Amino acid sequence: MKALMSVGALVGVIGLLLLVGMIFDVVPANTVRLVEGYMPMQMLTELTFFVAGFAGLSYMLSSMGMPLPRFWQGVGFWAFILLYLKYRVYPPIPFSVRAMYGTVSLVAVFMWVSSNEEDWKKFKQPILNVLDAQSGGNKMLRYAYLFLLPILIGGFTYNAMKPKSEEPIELRTVHPAPPASTKVHGKTYVLQTSQNPYRVNPEGKYDQEFTNANIVEQGMGRLMKPNANPWDEKNTGYLKYVREGGEIFFQNCHFCHGDNLNGRGLHAFAFNPIPANFTDPGTIAQLQETFIFWRVSKGGIGLPNEGFPWASVMPPWEQHLTVDEIWKVILFEYWHTGYYPRTWD
Amino acid sequence: MMNSSSRKAGVVAATAFGMILASGTFGIPLIGAEDMPEGFKKGELAPEPAAEMIEAGKRVYFTKCVWCHGVDGAGDGPGADRLWPRPRNFNQGTFKIRHTASGELPLFDARKPVPGQNDLFETVTHGLPGSAMPSWEGILTEEQRLQVLSFVTTQLVKDRKFTDKQSESQTILQLGDIKPIAATEESLKKGSELIVEKKCVECHGAEGRGDGNAFNLKDDWGFAIQPADWHKCWNFRGSRQDPYNVRNIFRTFSTGVNGTPMPSFADNTTVEERWHIANWVNFLCERDTDGKPLPIDPLTDKPKINFVVPSDPVEGEIPTDMENEAWKKAAKRYVAMGGQITHKPRNFVNRIDDIWVRSLYNDKVIVYLLEWDDRTKSVAEGKLPWAPTQVNLDIKEQDPKTGEEGSIASNQNKYRVYNDAIAIETPVKWKELPAPIKPRYLFGTNEQFPVDIVKWEADGSVRAFKGTGWDKDFEERDTYEENLKILKGEWINGRWYVMIQRPLGNKKDQDYDEDTFFEVGQYVPTVFFAWDGHNGDAGRKMAVSAFYYTFLNPPTPKETYIYPVVIAFGVVLLEGWVLTRRANKKKGKTL
Repeated sequence: MKALMSVGALVGVIGLLLLVGMIFDVVPANTVRLVEGYMPMQMLTELTFFVAGFAGLSYMLSSMGMPLPRFWQGVGFWAFILLYLKYRVYPPIPFSVRAMYGTVSLVAVFMWVSSNEEDWKKFKQPILNVLDAQSGGNKMLRYAYLFLLPILIGGFTYNAMKPKSEEPIELRTVHPAPPASTKVHGKTYVLQTSQNPYRVNPEGKYDQEFTNANIVEQGMGRLMKPNANPWDEKNTGYLKYVREGGEIFFQNCHFCHGDNLNGRGLHAFAFNPIPANFTDPGTIAQLQETFIFWRVSKGGIGLPNEGFPWASVMPPWEQHLTVDEIWKVILFEYWHTGYYPRTWD
Repeated sequence: MMNSSSRKAGVVAATAFGMILASGTFGIPLIGAEDMPEGFKKGELAPEPAAEMIEAGKRVYFTKCVWCHGVDGAGDGPGADRLWPRPRNFNQGTFKIRHTASGELPLFDARKPVPGQNDLFETVTHGLPGSAMPSWEGILTEEQRLQVLSFVTTQLVKDRKFTDKQSESQTILQLGDIKPIAATEESLKKGSELIVEKKCVECHGAEGRGDGNAFNLKDDWGFAIQPADWHKCWNFRGSRQDPYNVRNIFRTFSTGVNGTPMPSFADNTTVEERWHIANWVNFLCERDTDGKPLPIDPLTDKPKINFVVPSDPVEGEIPTDMENEAWKKAAKRYVAMGGQITHKPRNFVNRIDDIWVRSLYNDKVIVYLLEWDDRTKSVAEGKLPWAPTQVNLDIKEQDPKTGEEGSIASNQNKYRVYNDAIAIETPVKWKELPAPIKPRYLFGTNEQFPVDIVKWEADGSVRAFKGTGWDKDFEERDTYEENLKILKGEWINGRWYVMIQRPLGNKKDQDYDEDTFFEVGQYVPTVFFAWDGHNGDAGRKMAVSAFYYTFLNPPTPKETYIYPVVIAFGVVLLEGWVLTRRANKKKGKTL
């Protein structure tokens, strides 16, 4: 038990030192890199490590005869959460959201310290001691608070009132409602009934099961199935069209959506918000192929009013591509990300 | 799983870093043997990767890499012809970023991805900034990256063999053992002199903006190539996602860049001289006002963007001298630029990838100071092929697949030259746009909500346009120009400095339906356009920014000083109340 707790304590101390080092720029902020795509998991893991570390730390301290008072545990943990959210999480969370998380964790901390009468008393004790000021030290502290608190709060107010130019926050609909049908190159496509003409089996029949069996494998790296290489010369049907779609993608789309379809293309850094990440399970994996067909054909300009604030420079690709090319690109996008398009049933 | 491994990688990197520091402190700089340049040491060729690694790598290659690098690794995949620089042609075994001596193959060992000892692995891991090669970390596992490199080095490098002891040798820069020299004033001064003495400036330009020899440089395949702009270290191919690290510059300078005119300086500089030069080049990279490195966005590996361009108030005339205190104090914003690839003619390769903006205003006008690096000063030689206002042109653009001869890379330096130019687009009647205020489209929403475009060109002209929709021609506004003033328009050593003045707008002198009215304390959406005349940029073949906001900083209002005092006083009262209450409670009384 003790050994386990010491390990926990060690993890906690190292973690804290790293975090503090990063905050004060002593340790480069990328010492433990946040890897895109795994960030939420990584953060949960990190937090688990921290909590385990703190538990170990507090156990070690109390077994060494210098237990940390409940009051400081509570305050310390809350401060840790706030610092972690501000300095570790990337991309940065806006203040309003951080304030919300801060409040929730404050409530949680209160629940923790007041879980029984005994604990709550212990938690309150240092506060009451200062208020009563029975000893010299506490008296000093009381006077210090008396002066510092107004100055501090006044300072915060001043800071808050100083004219600032922070970027206005924008929220937008990620998947606006599509129209019932869309007209591309003079032909009307009903979104509910249209099908990707290239999603076909070797017999040339529309076959979602067959094509889904030939997409890249989910899992690290998202690699193609060993026997389903679109660059195989002998291909007919689906995989041949995937390759043709890929060629179009890498001549038109990768500039923004990236070589790995993750929205990190050559020009992506210049745009706000950055282009859609197709490997994210929240984008094309959630949508029907016809929805993509509509979005690709009509671009940011074709977004309905709910697409507000229309922060998309995606061109209406019907300007540059034929209907066949658009369908092939869509085929490629699903192949390359390893997602199945959603179906209507 | 990934978490623990990346954590481990971090720890390993940290330990390695510590070791470098430690060894740097105690180590003795390596003096090369007779035939060895200083700082280098003979190394062993790595063994051939296992057959199953090569086979597994083929699968990675044909999923991820083939699209640009091509079936035979000749750098001729479907994406190649619209890229500049073109994707690497692996066949010759020519690789840019290495720890090995000039002309040698890079370090690659399929068994160990040790930092500093596996050049190709690091290239795949960190990507090549400034080109289309992304960082594959977090996408491919370490194993997969080693596999694909096993395939590339054995199957696609055709003219050379990584394991052939007869023809290949490895002379390795001992970067981990060489102690850097601190970037003191003295070192920087020596560096700034050495870049002249060693003729760096002949290609990289007097200020290091890559403007020294912009037209005649070619790579091994005959494609035009540009010297690096030292002020944008985040675009250095060898920056390894750590652009302000001077070691990267030292390495590139010591080993040269194979396949390009950048030679290795290992033979004619001492290690000490190389550190001075590396320090100086690193020092030139764009920094904030305190001289600290710019924060880099880990998602894009470019400087972090603040989308608000603040404009400071000035009493009286706005200074035209950039050295003036007001300009020096004004916040300088990095504005990222991408190619305009929405409308024909699309700009797949934009040579201007950022501009720096500052702004000041007084009671009548607002002035933007725009600075951007452009290796070539371009003033139009002939007439434009289409009017600068036109859109939806039926014109031929770069074919997607033409082979090397017709690719964008081979067309560099052959374009007809037009004017360098810059433009600022702001919406008219932005207050009436539904919140958050932003016009619907880049070139104006419709007749009711047009945009106001002010454009300066390198021939000294300034013009105003009105945009009424993404697919509508711009309309030239011939009456507004008299309101505009160019306070500065200078090209010095590879950088444009342009100051554009326009009225803030008021209902008496300007037309509310046609001109943007700027208001203090409000966010006015602003877009920047830039043209590089030597890139054939004209009309809508240009570089564009995202929507930024111009924000006229209000002078600090009186309330800012009053309220905090009132609130502090309130807190004192509250404290008194709490204390009395507590005291009373202790005495057994209730309030």
